[in-house]
Order: sequence, then C-alpha cells, then structure tokens
Amino acid sequence: MKLYRSREGDITAVDTKTQLTTLGSETAPGPLMVPAGAKTIKAVITAIANNFAVASDGVILVRLEGPGLPEGPETVAVGASGAAVATGGKGSFQPMRLELDIPVTPANEILIFADMAGEDLGTVSVGVTLEFTG
Amino acid sequence: MARTITVEGDVNSIDTRVLLTGQGSVTAPSLVVPAGMTKIKKLIAASSADGLAAGQVVYFIRLNGNAVLGGEQVIVCGGDGAIAPQAGSDTAPFLGSMLILSDVDIDVRPSDTITIAGEMAGVDIGDATMAVTLVYGK
Repeated sequence: MKLYRSREGDITAVDTKTQLTTLGSETAPGPLMVPAGAKTIKAVITAIANNFAVASDGVILVRLEGPGLPEGPETVAVGASGAAVATGGKGSFQPMRLELDIPVTPANEILIFADMAGEDLGTVSVGVTLEFTG
Repeated sequence: MARTITVEGDVNSIDTRVLLTGQGSVTAPSLVVPAGMTKIKKLIAASSADGLAAGQVVYFIRLNGNAVLGGEQVIVCGGDGAIAPQAGSDTAPFLGSMLILSDVDIDVRPSDTITIAGEMAGVDIGDATMAVTLVYGK
C-alpha cells in the first residue's frame, strides 16, 4: 500500500530556497510527517508552471530535507522554462514522476523546498507529491 | 479483472476544492467502488485551462471518502502558466497536462463511496477542466 502526501507553493526569486507549505484550499496543512509504517519514498511526483512575466530562462529544483530523511537532504531537477519576450509566453507543463528509493524515518517531518536557478522566471508555482511505501 | 471510473469537472477558482462528479454526457456516474475491487491500481489525470487570466497554477487531485482506507491521498498532476491574455489569432493554446500512474496501489473498500476532487493552486489563470480515471483491481 502506498500513501501520497503533497505540498505546493510559489517561488518568486532566483537562487532562493523557498519552503512549500500550502495545499491549495488548505492554507496551513501543517508539517508533512512520514506516515507510520513507511520505509521509503518510492517516488516523487512534481508539477511546475511559471507565469512568463520575464524574458528569461531557468530551471526548477526541489529539495527534500528534515529529520524524516536519515541519509540527509536530496535535490532533484523537476523542470525548466523560458521565453524570449515578457509579453507572450504561455504553456502547459507535464508532470513528472521520478522513481526513487529514499529511506525515511516514520513520525518525523520532511521539509519540501523549491528553488529556481539560472534566470528569474517570474513567479513559479511548484507542486510536489511524495509517494511513500512500507 | 479491472474496472474503471472516470469523472470530470470545471475548476474555475484558485485554491478551491471542486468535486469532480460529471462524465460528459453522463451527469452523475456512480462513485461506488465496484464489488470485489480492493485497490486503485492505476490513475490518469488530465487538466488544462483557458488562460483568460495571467498567472500560473499547478493542478492536483484529492482522493478521499469512505472507500479510501489510508485517508485522503493528494497527488499533483500538472501545470499551466501564461502572461497577459493574448487575443484573436495571437492566442496560443494550452496543450494540457496529463499524468499517468501505472502502479498507484491505494487500498479501497469495495461497495463504498469514493470522492474525487480537483484543485488548482498558484495564481488564477482562468477556467480549467480536469478529468480523472481510476483503474480498480485486486
């Protein structure tokens, strides 16, 4: 049996680690705890979208940190975007499922952060789902 | 043996949980997990927006209800972004996002009701439509 836990948030500055703490209509879902019985993060599912407000190009990184990760933090690249002018960008972004096998400590917190690197992409929404297995 | 349920609906406000209860020409498909089915084995989620507002969103779905044994499961499934709305022949399309998961492995209770909701988070981008297909198995 798998359990799916998600967070999302907006990042607005380049090279700035921003914690994802909300979940749409849930403005304060609280800490993302490793579910009881979970042994690993089997996969990470991510979605991003930027508003194309800047003529630029950049990439989006997701960082997993916190006491729920006994082996330490992990960082994965989850997408990229760019536009030649600041008035005409528009696009759909495909989600990504990255299969992993990251050990976790049940009942401890995992902090999810997003980062944009390269150039400022304007505002970027980032959603992350952690797929836990026992 | 597998059974499927597909639902869709319009998600027109940011940060608003919207129950997906339609199925095109079928206005109220059954949300009861078929007898004998104990797991959600696969999931397909599709989403797109009209881009009538400048913004950016990520989409996610919520699976809950009495049939979902592990509590609510929330899965991100796509994103759209656009700067100032374009007009006429300059309008670029959103081609939509699609997530296909082939090993979902969520436990469900047969003959009980599942609730499937869609949501977008970020900055309002106009109206969106979302569709979700669940493939049940044992």
